[in-house]
Amino acid sequence: MIDVRAWVLWAVTALVVASSTRNPLYLVLLLLVVAVVDKAHAPGHRQRAVLSPLRFAAVAVPLSVLFNGLTAHLGDTVLFRLPTWLPLLSGSVTLEALVFGATNGLTLTAIFSGFVVFNQVTPVRDLVQLTPRAFHEAGVVLSIALTFVPQTTHSLARIREAQAVRGHRIRGLRDWLPIFVPLLVSGLERSMGLAEAMVARGYGAVTDRSQPLRLQALLALGLFLLLGGWLAFLFLPSWKALALGGILVGVALIVGVLWLAGRAVPRTAYRTHRWTARDTLVVLGCGLTLAATLLPLPLVDRTTLAYAPFPRLTLPAFDPLIGLGLLGLLVPVYHATRNTQHATRNTAQ
Amino acid sequence: MRRALSVAIYVLSTAIGVLAFIYPFFLNTRATGSIGVAHGQDAPLVTAALVGLALVALLVELQGQAISAKTVAMLGVLVAITSVLRFVEVAVPMPGGFSPVFVPIILAGYVFGSRFGFLMGAFTLLVSGLITGGVGPWLPYQMFAAGWVGLTAGWLPHLTHYVSRVPCSVLRVASRTPRSRGALPTEIAILCIFGFVWGLAYGAIINVYFWPFAVGLVAQTWTPGIGLGEILARYAAFYVATSLGWDMVRAVGNVALVLLLGVPTVQALRRFQRRFRFEVRPFHD
Repeated sequence: MIDVRAWVLWAVTALVVASSTRNPLYLVLLLLVVAVVDKAHAPGHRQRAVLSPLRFAAVAVPLSVLFNGLTAHLGDTVLFRLPTWLPLLSGSVTLEALVFGATNGLTLTAIFSGFVVFNQVTPVRDLVQLTPRAFHEAGVVLSIALTFVPQTTHSLARIREAQAVRGHRIRGLRDWLPIFVPLLVSGLERSMGLAEAMVARGYGAVTDRSQPLRLQALLALGLFLLLGGWLAFLFLPSWKALALGGILVGVALIVGVLWLAGRAVPRTAYRTHRWTARDTLVVLGCGLTLAATLLPLPLVDRTTLAYAPFPRLTLPAFDPLIGLGLLGLLVPVYHATRNTQHATRNTAQ
Repeated sequence: MRRALSVAIYVLSTAIGVLAFIYPFFLNTRATGSIGVAHGQDAPLVTAALVGLALVALLVELQGQAISAKTVAMLGVLVAITSVLRFVEVAVPMPGGFSPVFVPIILAGYVFGSRFGFLMGAFTLLVSGLITGGVGPWLPYQMFAAGWVGLTAGWLPHLTHYVSRVPCSVLRVASRTPRSRGALPTEIAILCIFGFVWGLAYGAIINVYFWPFAVGLVAQTWTPGIGLGEILARYAAFYVATSLGWDMVRAVGNVALVLLLGVPTVQALRRFQRRFRFEVRPFHD
């Protein structure tokens, strides 16, 4: 099983690539790579998929084409003209605007697909374990909420059944009242019991649990430097170097406060996941993809990442080295294939 | 001193959050130089990272103020209930932007205060994102905006107190709906207006982070170097053309839910607020 931190990097890399290009060829390649990873990891990993990428694309791409075609009257290849009496929409509808709309739809679909895969392959408990130790209380709230979600769903079903036995039917919004109020009250009763149990087990049994003054001051200073540096970066071009320094020091202070606050919170785990060579391979694959798309490497033509069909539609350029770099995101497929082979061998034995 | 630092952290984090939303407006260059092409493609990543960092700082401060076991338990359970409502919303598509998530956040913030409201809003979006597969670069923005909904709801009791002292107020007349007659009429009227305004404002705020990168009519899109008045006029045109109808359904839905659920929910939350006043102190000889 791949470490959840490697999956986080994988999802962020897919997001960075999708955001860095408007070239439809790279976007289609990225979508294919994501689809292959999704397919390889699908068996046994389907966890939380409410909307599939295909259904998302079926809505996002046509909507984007329609919106861009009707509102961006740019490009030389005029398909037809909308009458002048139409407010906001009047003008020529061009092939170039439709293609650019489709490209935007593809970008959205690529970002969405990457995170759908991420959501499906990462167990919620692993994500919760990623919570920094400084967020101890936040982590407890998150754990309680995630634990109570199935119970709440169960309660909802029971209350609906009980009301149905009494002849209650849901026909409109008003009919939710006899369901929502018992759900809320029973949930609050459970939280009362939980709070008593937590207190009985010594939760918060210290006299002063507030943040030390020193950490509060450092956090405020970090935020001040971050905000000040960012404002200076935007509005005082001659102070750019100083502004960047302020931003970096601010970020470092905030991260430092997190680390210092986390040190005071011991954490134990029943079963910890060990970082393995396969996780390192995933990281290297992501590094290859990021290097090909972000770094000014010799022989790599990064100008092909940008593509605009205006004023006349042309075929987008394609650099094979960038294409190869995108294949770095396929590393998780190799692991999935090996896992499948192991499983098949074990079954045969 | 501690209180002053706490206020400074709230103000600075919120200011960074606001700046992260509007930062792309201040980009002076286009990425490709072509008309109608998106501007500065790295900006969404930068803003997502910084809005996340501001959120982290605010959460550290909020949870650092000695959250009791009662608050932790109640927050966790209320977040679970609201997240289940979001799951219902995702599983059973509802008209337009209608979402049953915002009214519980508003009512919890109204009864338990701004801090609880902010945490409730931010955690609800986080937990519902986790259970519905909605984790993505959009999540920090949604958490911040939903947090603001709960945070500002915590300010309403002061307004309610003021309005209830105004004789023959328009609000008091307008609030005499059949369900709320005789119980909390002024509060319900104010909560309805608040829910309506946030129904529209939530969409308007969330749109801001991608609007500068949108393409379309010049009169509806952002161009570097235009003045603040022009920015607002163009954004208003864009919002009316693309989002108003969608968000109006959410705003009207919020009003309907407050009218329907407001009185019993506020009463239940207040009853439990009184019951939760027990305190456990260390025993000293």
